[in-house]
Amino acid sequence: MKLLNYRIKTFFKYKDLIIELVSRDLKLKYRRSFLGYAWTVLQPLMMMMVWVIVFSNILGRNIENYPVFLLSGRMMYDFLSQSTTGAMKSVTGNSALIRKVNVPKYIFTLARVTSCMVDMVLSFGALFIVMLVTGAKFYWTLVMIPLVVIQIYIFCCGLGFFLAQFNVFFRDTEHIYGAILRALLYMTPILYEITRLPEKLQLFIKVFNPLYYYVGQFRDIVYYGNVPGPRIFWGGWIIAFLMLAIGIWAFQRSKDRFILYI
Amino acid sequence: MSKNVIEVNHLKVRFNMATEKVDNLKEYAIKLVKHQLMFQEFIALQDITFQVKKGEAWGLVGPNGCGKSTLLKAVSGILQPYEGTVKVKGKISPLIELGAGFDKNLTARENIYLNGLVLGHSRKFMEEHFDEIVEFADIEDFLDAPLKNFSSGMKARLGFAVATVVNPDILIVDEALEVGDMRFRRKCNERMQQMLDGGTTLLYVSHNIDSVKGLCDKAIWIDHGKMRMIGDSQEVCDAYRDDQNETIRVRKEERRARLRAQGAKYDYLVVGAGLTGAVFAREMAKAGKRCLVIDKRSHIGGNVYTEDVDGIQVHRYGPHVFHTNDEKIWKYVNRFADFNHYIYSPLAVYRDELYNLPFNMNTFSRLWNLKKPQEVREKIAAQIVPSIEKNASRLDCTVEEYALSQVGPDIYEKLIRGYMEKQWGRDCKELPASLLCELPLRFTYDNRYFEDSFQGIPVGGYTALVEKLLENTDVMTDTDFFIYREEHPGMFDRVLYTGMIDAYFDFCYGHLEYRSARFETERVEETDYQGSAVIINTDREVPYTRVIEYRHFTPELEHPKEYSIISREYPLEWNPEAETSSTEKNALHSVAVGTDTAEPYDPVRDKKNRLLYEKYRELADREENVIFSGRLGTYQHYDMDQAIAAAMELAQNEKLRFRRKRVKDVSD
Repeated sequence: MKLLNYRIKTFFKYKDLIIELVSRDLKLKYRRSFLGYAWTVLQPLMMMMVWVIVFSNILGRNIENYPVFLLSGRMMYDFLSQSTTGAMKSVTGNSALIRKVNVPKYIFTLARVTSCMVDMVLSFGALFIVMLVTGAKFYWTLVMIPLVVIQIYIFCCGLGFFLAQFNVFFRDTEHIYGAILRALLYMTPILYEITRLPEKLQLFIKVFNPLYYYVGQFRDIVYYGNVPGPRIFWGGWIIAFLMLAIGIWAFQRSKDRFILYI
Repeated sequence: MSKNVIEVNHLKVRFNMATEKVDNLKEYAIKLVKHQLMFQEFIALQDITFQVKKGEAWGLVGPNGCGKSTLLKAVSGILQPYEGTVKVKGKISPLIELGAGFDKNLTARENIYLNGLVLGHSRKFMEEHFDEIVEFADIEDFLDAPLKNFSSGMKARLGFAVATVVNPDILIVDEALEVGDMRFRRKCNERMQQMLDGGTTLLYVSHNIDSVKGLCDKAIWIDHGKMRMIGDSQEVCDAYRDDQNETIRVRKEERRARLRAQGAKYDYLVVGAGLTGAVFAREMAKAGKRCLVIDKRSHIGGNVYTEDVDGIQVHRYGPHVFHTNDEKIWKYVNRFADFNHYIYSPLAVYRDELYNLPFNMNTFSRLWNLKKPQEVREKIAAQIVPSIEKNASRLDCTVEEYALSQVGPDIYEKLIRGYMEKQWGRDCKELPASLLCELPLRFTYDNRYFEDSFQGIPVGGYTALVEKLLENTDVMTDTDFFIYREEHPGMFDRVLYTGMIDAYFDFCYGHLEYRSARFETERVEETDYQGSAVIINTDREVPYTRVIEYRHFTPELEHPKEYSIISREYPLEWNPEAETSSTEKNALHSVAVGTDTAEPYDPVRDKKNRLLYEKYRELADREENVIFSGRLGTYQHYDMDQAIAAAMELAQNEKLRFRRKRVKDVSD
């Protein structure tokens, strides 16, 4: 209990630092670019256009309003991919600081995931623009967006912690994880509807692909206007906290040895 | 106990070292299967134990990679100990290290906040102290420039300013300040001093030993991860510095030995291990040239050679008092030896009368019992015998005529005549006045013989000084140049010859003449024989000219209580034929006390000898790879400072010559 108290106290002591690190990430991302923060919206828009042009005739023939369909899935994936990749490098990348100041090391991982989350929330602007342009309906279920964002945020924190500590000891993680992310992109119904897949594969994805839960929920809310089903809703929460627990455990276990490897 | 703010107990830090870095999965799996997952371990620190009390300043010294920074990291909690404990009480500042924790892409303003927050300050706190930091770091004009454009000095300033914005209980500084300019370093030192006065504890790592000495009261010397020494910072730093110098010396010596074993050719053969040769060899060695110094005597040092007799430095070839007006030369010699501030003020004894020298008011008042300078002037003016014309040149008259016309009969009879006649073995009526130096009369009570700004005696003796000069040079004593040259013709490129110039040319035009003297050294069973280092005897009937009692050159040293060492100087005609045998005798001569033999001392610079030297000089100028230098090589008297200056100039010329040659080689 005392330990927990201490942990919470240090967390609050460093909350300003987290905020500063997040704003650093955001500032540096678009510093010196002409359009600056506009890119948080423009970039997903441009990406989407490319994807729509390439895939709308192949995969999206039977999907109504393919741009919104694609973007709603893609945003979840992008967040997961960017935040966890960033988190993975957060400890090794801040080695200069960690080697010199005794700071809780999870701060850097947490700040990284958080800054990606803020980035994602900002890029929702792109989604709404597309919805407006394509004349999509705005359902009341949109108010549930924060619930999904929190879920995937927790999940990514957990995964980020795990990857960050793993990457300290095995730098290969960076390369392997890149391939895994690529596989995940195609193994998740982002470009296509899950019903297009064979039964067996559908089942496999529903059981083993955590991203499916978040993409599914988000799309329900934004695209279909449904309240997500209890299976993916509660499943999403459980997976998120499970991942967080694993991540924290792994991170906590090895954090004192980081300094020897970075 | 409660006052200890840092307690380190048997600390051990272990790294898994990257001689064989296993950081990919495949290798990891293979090693795991083979049970080879034993990392090459590296003990960065071992058995470190010390306690720091509140308000103390501790310095850590040691060579690169010895574990200083690791220890700081362990203390600041960044590194966990592998064994042992580290207990710290109070708020610790971060390691102030060059650019610690800055993001080079952010601006200075953003970095100040980021850095402050990393240190655990709140944003509000940083806003309050922002101006203070900027002012201290002196970077107002660059606040919004990205840090990557900052100089390392500016980064250090910023880092120091942020880290010291609050008085931490423990301040840790790791070589951060070396890059700053002087003004900033002083500012930092003041700040640290302030903090120390305010009760902050300081751990300080620096390679600048002097700054550690200045700032810290205690120090730890770490070597290869272990504590080599702990205690008073002055002692530890001195021991460390000595050890470092010794290491460098040994390494250089090893290198020299290797080259020697390979039979590599020398750039210079330096003939004569006196001051000239030693200074030249040192300067050339510093410029990366290999020198071999040979001397036909059995010791180095030439005529400044001193011999240690129970702690008394006996000047084997006559007393030498170092004096110079050139600050550069003074600093130079002080790098190689500790000089005291002995001031040469000899006395003259005539029968039972004792006079101060050089001729000054002390002398005159003793002679005539006069007290005021004006009275003395009148007395001398009345005494002067105008036997020669007032403005006649010194060269045209005898010693007697000249002395009488300058100082009058009293001084001449008692203080000049006997000395000169003993010295030259002839009557003063026959001696040319050119042998007499100027006869300055001082109308003040000032007994200093030399009026130079810097004067002293190397406390450890001149031999130690020359030894230090020759520290990185190969030396062979008991080696005759002419024999060596015959036996090893291809071993050297150029020669610096400080021997007798006429001997080099096999006396083809005849012998140059020298003044010589014999020193009879003896042990007297008295603590203090004469109460002065040098007393000149001006009585014609006494055969010696000077008595030297060596202990008075170094009054600050402990000397034997029961006895003293003195030498009597007997003037001698120098006989060239006896010269060869004298070296032999000298080589055999190993007892400290006894009679020394004749050596060629001062050149007799009269007309005949000067003309003869000119003829040899012409021959010398034709020798291509031989430089003639020093007293015997150029047939002229040198004070020690002049000899050093001349050798340094020579070395400078040689370096230029090499540079010119290189340029020429390139352009060819």
